[in-house]
Amino acid sequence: MMRSFLTVVLISFTSLIMAQDGEADRLVGVWEPSHGKAKVKIEKINDKYYGKIVWLREPIDPETEKPKVDKNNPDEKMRSTPLRGYRILKDFEYTDKDTWTEGTIYDPENGNTYNCTIKMTDENTLDIRGYIGISTFGRSDVWKRLKIPSRKK
Amino acid sequence: MVSSYVFGQTDTTSTEEEDYSIYDNLEFADEGTKRFASVKVSGKSPDKLISVGYDWQGAYDSDAAALGLSPAENADITATHGFRFETNVPVISKNNIIIQAGLLYWNTIYEFENENQLVNPLHRTLADNGLNTIELSSTIYKPLNETSFLLFQLRGGMSGDYSMEELQNTKYNRYALAAIWGKKPNDRKQWGLGLSRTYRAGELNYIPVVLYNWTSVDRKWGVETVFPARGDVRYNFNPRSMLFFGFDLEGNSYRIGNQGTALAEPLNDLEIRRSELRFRFRYERQLTGFIWISAKVGYRYNYSFNVDQVADGEDFFRGFFGDQEYAMENELTNPLFFNFSINLVSP
Repeated sequence: MMRSFLTVVLISFTSLIMAQDGEADRLVGVWEPSHGKAKVKIEKINDKYYGKIVWLREPIDPETEKPKVDKNNPDEKMRSTPLRGYRILKDFEYTDKDTWTEGTIYDPENGNTYNCTIKMTDENTLDIRGYIGISTFGRSDVWKRLKIPSRKK
Repeated sequence: MVSSYVFGQTDTTSTEEEDYSIYDNLEFADEGTKRFASVKVSGKSPDKLISVGYDWQGAYDSDAAALGLSPAENADITATHGFRFETNVPVISKNNIIIQAGLLYWNTIYEFENENQLVNPLHRTLADNGLNTIELSSTIYKPLNETSFLLFQLRGGMSGDYSMEELQNTKYNRYALAAIWGKKPNDRKQWGLGLSRTYRAGELNYIPVVLYNWTSVDRKWGVETVFPARGDVRYNFNPRSMLFFGFDLEGNSYRIGNQGTALAEPLNDLEIRRSELRFRFRYERQLTGFIWISAKVGYRYNYSFNVDQVADGEDFFRGFFGDQEYAMENELTNPLFFNFSINLVSP
């Protein structure tokens, strides 16, 4: 009797975790910010979510005629890091229904890092809110999901 | 693949070898999704969500004309200064529309030499009450497609010698409107043409508006212009520190509510058509995070300080060519000024 009860509890608990993982993983994919200058691929790494730039509308810096680097970073050591492949979203956790928090977003245009909350308003739309301190005085941007390409063999 | 992330670079860059060419031609997952021209221009100074500042003009002379039985008078103004507070906060921010709401409060205090000897009613009321402006505004940015957009701005509020304890009647409120159609051909350039109903020249006028924002390829130089309200050439030391040279055209119609009864009936339906052209240097830099400071130094040129009689607040249009006479034609000499503000900026 006790063994059956524990089995039911274990199965229920496992199903709950799997369902929650499934919900959380909807964030994984390729997304386009409203400015359309970049595409960002969000991946899950160790139960957290990270987003890196995988495409730039203007990949070559017209000044140097070389691939763009993170030249506005306040940390001089980072200024030669290529922008393509750069992780601009870091450390997001699924904390509430359709919401990922505890992460940061980096803006290569000005070298600033902001606290960030991601809200999925529908399966293909993210409301990305960057702020410092309190969310009231931040700015929201709407990102749209792009169709994920199939892997080349 | 996972282990390389676990033990590798979750900090900044992916170490994974990836064929980025597969991201070149992706379509939206939602078939109906469109791309729209973003409001942001690369390299442009950040938008101010909240600004708290102080404005100070140095000494100048005021030649006030005669009014009724009151004589003309020349007075020395030792300083004009005041507190300035502005907000402009997004209330709706979507890819296909942005709506912002704003509140503005400007206070102007006039310091006269020999204040007790003033007899001209204009000088008396400026010395006794100063001038205040409270305005509400809304700005709507509506992109039409990837390169075209519409921009609307509506401002409405009260300007006058009222006190904050006793505001003037709302029938004296004044409204300004601007509508612009524009193009954004690339991330570094945005231009537009439109028409405005404005009080920036002190009195009601209808004038064309030219919007032009541009940043050089190396992101060092730029232009930020909403003509005739303001225009700037910008030099970016870096994205967090910028120097500007340009102008602001500031103006409004200020009702003289005759507090202190400086004027005799029926000369109490008066409005000061105040307009200042300010040529100045402006330096803006990030202090920390969203907090920026802005300092302006320059020369204030008086464009208008004339006074109209506006019966019962029902304003009229003179434009550039109208021949309606002013109740007072006043002259101000032109001082240096500075302005300092601390700002909460948009990410």
